[in-house]
Amino acid sequence: MSGTLAVYGKELASYFRSAIAYYVVAVFLLGTGYFFLYNVFLTGETTMAGTFQNMGILLTTLVPVISMRLFSVEYSAGTAELLLTLPLQPWEIVAGKYLGAVTILVLMTAATVVDLVPLYLFGTPETTTILAGYIGFVLLGMACLAIGLLFSTLTHNQIVAALITAAVLLGFWFVGHLQTFQQSGTLRELFGYLSFSRHFVDFIQGLVRTEAVAFYLIVAAIALTLSTNYLKWRR
Amino acid sequence: MMSSDSALIALESVSKRYGSRTVVDDVSFTVARGEIVGFLGPNGAGKTTTLRMIAGFTAPTSGRVRVAGHDMATENVEAARCIGYLPERPPLYDVLDVSAYLRFVARAKRIERRAIAGELDRVITACRLEAVTRREIFKLSKGYRQRVGLAQALLGAPEVLLLDEPTAGLDPGQIQEAREVIRAFGDDHAVLFSTHILAEVTLICRRVAIIHHGRLLAMDSPTGLLRALEETHRVCLEVSGPADGVRDELLSVKGVIAVDVHRLRDGEEMVAADCRVEAESGVEAAIARAITRRWDLHRLERQQPTLENIFLRYVSAQTNDA
Repeated sequence: MSGTLAVYGKELASYFRSAIAYYVVAVFLLGTGYFFLYNVFLTGETTMAGTFQNMGILLTTLVPVISMRLFSVEYSAGTAELLLTLPLQPWEIVAGKYLGAVTILVLMTAATVVDLVPLYLFGTPETTTILAGYIGFVLLGMACLAIGLLFSTLTHNQIVAALITAAVLLGFWFVGHLQTFQQSGTLRELFGYLSFSRHFVDFIQGLVRTEAVAFYLIVAAIALTLSTNYLKWRR
Repeated sequence: MMSSDSALIALESVSKRYGSRTVVDDVSFTVARGEIVGFLGPNGAGKTTTLRMIAGFTAPTSGRVRVAGHDMATENVEAARCIGYLPERPPLYDVLDVSAYLRFVARAKRIERRAIAGELDRVITACRLEAVTRREIFKLSKGYRQRVGLAQALLGAPEVLLLDEPTAGLDPGQIQEAREVIRAFGDDHAVLFSTHILAEVTLICRRVAIIHHGRLLAMDSPTGLLRALEETHRVCLEVSGPADGVRDELLSVKGVIAVDVHRLRDGEEMVAADCRVEAESGVEAAIARAITRRWDLHRLERQQPTLENIFLRYVSAQTNDA
């Protein structure tokens, strides 16, 4: 565990001593601010539902920016040679890096709370629904970050890692649309189950379903396990 | 060679292949506590790959690496606790300052929290980093970057120190300081460092591992290496004269140890002579004087000792032994 904390501390220091954390949070706040203004002030609805939906899509494009550097930059800068020869288990390295990225996710999510001020000032939104939406958003982000981390372990090139991650995340986001074209009930069910957006909609509507929570956590666990095993294998 | 059980570093028939390309071929050697072993070889000889296998960054295709009694294949984390490793390219996080970087490495090496400050002071002093502890690493000169890399390797006083070209990029004064650090550390630890600088190994090593094209040619003493060095001083010349006469004349010159003469072209009186000479300068001038007294000298060239020539000498010695 102390190894995980050492890597986590280094990751946070790296985020905040470079421009990445500030850039990601700023772009995310600009994006969510725009969507919030559009959804609330133009439609007159005092809910976060529309904003959460847009935040989800925005997340699939911002996660690659956070995750691409996790391992790719270590390979290209030569620091992997230090990191992988320190007395650290591969899972400690993966966990430390993942927790660092999740911390950035939580910070940028927390920063959107500012949007709630006018919502509560000028309307009566449902707090539990908003809370469920935030829980779903963080879980969605955790699954996306784990996938991004996996692709970052596989390549030296940050751009390649980011592009593959973005493609895969958009695939998971829109895979539910393939249901319409399927004759087979099993395939329809599978595409629906794999859809990141379908599960997210439950949270936006205020439902914290065990199945949806488990789905995001299982996706994250699979991606993190594959990353750990890849690090062991690459020796 | 000592028993591999008592050695801190032990390689047993270690090979590394990438596809059909063999980078390290059946290498075996040991390094004991209190020993500084120089790992000498030209670029591409397999030094870095061998060090990476000992450090646990990459696994051998075949053979076994043990560090402080731990098998790298099964106990690499336990072994890593005993290793300080400076790769060829210092592994630095540019956005961190020197102090934050060293603190991270200290924590990852599981140095006790209350001992970290003292340990940082020790390596910062040893590597003369006092002036830059608060400076971000990307702002450091190449020499300082190398010293920060060395400092992280020294953290926790590991039993085994692996250094891949530790003096690269340092100025002469810093090279001297780095050598002192390595020498002091080698008193009660095992140090293996790679270099292609001959003077470096002869100055601070007890033994030298000579590697070429992935194969360990010899484990020699610095004295043996110096002897090999002596044997690579040569003077080559072309003379219009009889082969036997030229040979006798050359052998009579002080400083010429051995002479090989052969005719350049049939039917002509032109011969080429290859002389093994002593290291002192001036031998070539004496040869020129002796030859021009009797014949026409067309070409004379003193060949400086090169690593390649030294390796060729070890290769030929190995071939002769076989």
